[in-house]
Amino acid sequence: MKRWGSRLPCLFVWGIAVAAHAGSLTIKTIDNRGHPVSDAVVTIDRANSPTTASTHYIDQKSETFIPYVEVMHPGDSVVFRNSDNTRHHVYSFSPIGAFQFILSPGESSSPVVLNRTGIIALGCNIHDHMIAYLVVTTDQAQVTTQQGQARFDDLPAGHYTVKVWHPQLWPGHPLASSDVDVPPEGAAPELPFTLRLMPDPRSVVDREHLDY
Amino acid sequence: MRTVIGFRLRLALFFVGMLATVQLITGALVYGVTRRALIVDGERQLVANAKAFDAQMDDVSARIAGNVRVMALDFALRQAIAEGDRGTVLSVLHNHGRRVGASRMQLINLDGTIAVDTADVHADGKSFPFSELIQRAFYERAAEMAAVQGRVYWIVVVPIYAPQPVGLVVVYVQVDDELLAHMQELSTLRRDVALEVQLAPVQWQAVAFGDRSAPFARGLEHVTGDFPSQPSLRRIAQSDYIVLAQPLRHPYNSAPVVILFGYSLDDALRPYHNLALAWSALLALGLAAGLLGAWVIARNVSRPVEWLATVAKRIEQGDYRVPPRLHRRDEIGALANAIGTMAAGVQQREERIFHQATHDAVTGLPNRTAIEADITRDMDSGVTQGSLLMIGLTRVPDIIKTMGHGLCDRLMHDAGERIQHMADGAQVARATDSNFVTWLPNTSRDEAVQAAIRILEELATPYTEPDVSIDMVPAIGIAVYPEHATQAVALLRYAETAQFAAVGSSKAWAFYQASIDPHRPEQLSLMGELREALTRGQLELFYQPKLTLPTRRLDSAEALVRWQHPVRGAISPDVFIGMAEDTGNIQRLTRWVLETAIAQVSQWRVQGLQLRVAVNLSAHDLGDADLPQYIVDLAALHRLPHEQLTLEITERAVIGEFDAVSRVLQQLGEEGFHIAIDDFGVGQSSLSYLHKFPIDELKIDQSFIKHLNDDSDDRIIVRSIVELSHDLGYHVTAEGVEDEGTLDYLASIGCDHAQGYFVARPMNADSLAHLITTQPKSSHA
Repeated sequence: MKRWGSRLPCLFVWGIAVAAHAGSLTIKTIDNRGHPVSDAVVTIDRANSPTTASTHYIDQKSETFIPYVEVMHPGDSVVFRNSDNTRHHVYSFSPIGAFQFILSPGESSSPVVLNRTGIIALGCNIHDHMIAYLVVTTDQAQVTTQQGQARFDDLPAGHYTVKVWHPQLWPGHPLASSDVDVPPEGAAPELPFTLRLMPDPRSVVDREHLDY
Repeated sequence: MRTVIGFRLRLALFFVGMLATVQLITGALVYGVTRRALIVDGERQLVANAKAFDAQMDDVSARIAGNVRVMALDFALRQAIAEGDRGTVLSVLHNHGRRVGASRMQLINLDGTIAVDTADVHADGKSFPFSELIQRAFYERAAEMAAVQGRVYWIVVVPIYAPQPVGLVVVYVQVDDELLAHMQELSTLRRDVALEVQLAPVQWQAVAFGDRSAPFARGLEHVTGDFPSQPSLRRIAQSDYIVLAQPLRHPYNSAPVVILFGYSLDDALRPYHNLALAWSALLALGLAAGLLGAWVIARNVSRPVEWLATVAKRIEQGDYRVPPRLHRRDEIGALANAIGTMAAGVQQREERIFHQATHDAVTGLPNRTAIEADITRDMDSGVTQGSLLMIGLTRVPDIIKTMGHGLCDRLMHDAGERIQHMADGAQVARATDSNFVTWLPNTSRDEAVQAAIRILEELATPYTEPDVSIDMVPAIGIAVYPEHATQAVALLRYAETAQFAAVGSSKAWAFYQASIDPHRPEQLSLMGELREALTRGQLELFYQPKLTLPTRRLDSAEALVRWQHPVRGAISPDVFIGMAEDTGNIQRLTRWVLETAIAQVSQWRVQGLQLRVAVNLSAHDLGDADLPQYIVDLAALHRLPHEQLTLEITERAVIGEFDAVSRVLQQLGEEGFHIAIDDFGVGQSSLSYLHKFPIDELKIDQSFIKHLNDDSDDRIIVRSIVELSHDLGYHVTAEGVEDEGTLDYLASIGCDHAQGYFVARPMNADSLAHLITTQPKSSHA
């Protein structure tokens, strides 16, 4: 919750500022059963406006990567920080960024710069249920909230292609995408996405239940 | 006897059959119940087995999955998988495959293609055939039974995370005999278990058995048909099995696989075989014991019953010896005692009845039947001669009439005792109401006479009671064996006949004489023949002329009947007239004589012969009130003057029923017929008595006439009769005149008529007519 606490107020401020001369787009992600799906990454086919490379922090607290899904842009760097009292062995076998850090309690890794787009699955070799995802994209991207919503504000009117990715999407399936027209003024109708998801790999309880 | 044995046998068989039936029914019931219980038990076991198998396979899956998961935890393997290092992955899969007992391991990409296959190095990129397991593997334990190339594998699919899903490991555990045997070791899996793969609809092939050597396995190698999804009784390889088929989850692309559980009923029943054997032995023993017991009991019942039947048969045959009592307290004993008592009772009663049947109640002497039997017995036992004395008390009928039966019975009792006393040990019996009989075997005629005289003397003493003294007036008839008869019945009858003869004779005893016996059997047939003779004209009237002494002329005749029997020749009137009187035929005979005589006299009259004819009437005729009218009618018919017919009656005939005789004679007399008294002098009548009847003539009996020449007494009697008769107004005829002296004498004393051989013998009508017409007009001056 802490991560949202630092980010949401700034988003709201930004959205209100651009509302006067551009339209907005809201995407809603739900699963098969209609429940809102959080942590989905929604991208629109508009390049992220060039910004300076930033450093993203992935905290490890209570044997959990925080945040679960982090959107990054090429050139950004990521730092892993161990806030637990146990060791964590952060690793990635991803072709766009394979690395591993063994972090003692309170230790932070050196920054890892990611220049290529793609998705990196992070795991902890000590704690199997610790998984996080880094999404490196050039497009504008938002992560859906607990309510399953992602909102793009201050968009110039026009035709957009919206794509949604989620860590639990079935592998090998093409990403869900949808076209939408954003009006010059006001908000486009909420764009819904229904996602078919695999079980949450973090779910220790479920895995034990399955006896794996 | 056969029925008795049958009874015994039936009883025994019934018991034994009952026992056997009950035992067999019990056995069948026990067998049925046991079998049913075993079936139910087997069904329950099979259902439990099926569940257990599922659980076991689940355990296998869990073990495999756990192993794979442990395997996937290996960082190097994750790295190798994530980096697509085939060689490393293959080696790891080989290694872990051995650990989990898998015969084949595969790594499947998330897109369903095969990444690595331990059994096929060229499998890369091929599709994993059971793709639906992949998706399921992420949610639940994905393990199913798949048939691959004729073999059946338990396929377990486990996802690999690194850290996100990167692929899936597929573990193939071959389900074969070895695995099943292993499972049997670890758990309670049955021996009779078979894994069957469907080759085609209703075509199944076995791929694994729990025990390949069992009949269950032999019968299930190839099966056509379907398997029962509920426990059912099936016949497999000549044995009864309860079979349950458990379909196993299989992937879409795999042929269906079922596991068959069998519960051998034969095996289950095997422990009971010894029990059944023991039970059979027990049954046999029980049957033997039952047979023996039934036999003994049946014998106890049937033996006495047979014995009682024998006793009853003996009683039926008249053997009343009371059999030894059965010393039994039961019903049969009671029956035996009852039969014994009954036999004694029957014997007593029979003796009493026999005594009554053979003895006279009044005198206590044997009766006629008894003495007859005794005589017969003596005759049969070689007694060569003997005498039978019939002792009659002639006054008995009168005694009964005047003094009553009570006194008569006492008198008879007394007489019986006296006769017994005099019989000197000989058998005495009471033959009739008034007759006793004594059988004297081995006695001569003289001895018989002596005995008779002794008895007569003994009985001569009157029977006395206070105020009463009665003469018994005995008469004894004697029949001699074998002279008179050779049979007891005949002897008795003859003795009785002789007794009749003895009555009134001076000696008071008489031997039997055949000639005086009116009751000889041949007489009876003679009577029948007499009736026949009357109608057939075998009878003929002869006429004996009567000489009228004063004129010496023949002017009347007595009609005498002759019977010329076609076989027996001439039969004496003495014989058949007496017989006719006794048998009631005399009236017909008399009427025939009357009719014939009247017709003849009437005919002579027409011819100019004036003859008076006399016809004899019997005493019986005088009781016939119609006779006078009959004679009158006959005379009228033949226009015969009544005075030409004389009716002769004996002196004895008029002594009988005075009123009736008197009436008949009176009528005849009034009609003008002559009436003559025949055989006058031998009866006990007197002239004063006869004088009461309208008599015209007396005929003096020939016994007075025969000796008239020699006997002066007879001459006096005859002369007196003649004189007296003349005084009374009777004509007198002398019978039996056989010589001239007699005739002359009779003429000299004034006798009216003479009749006899000297005058003329009886002759037929023509001869008489000739004699009459040729006689001199007057032979005497």
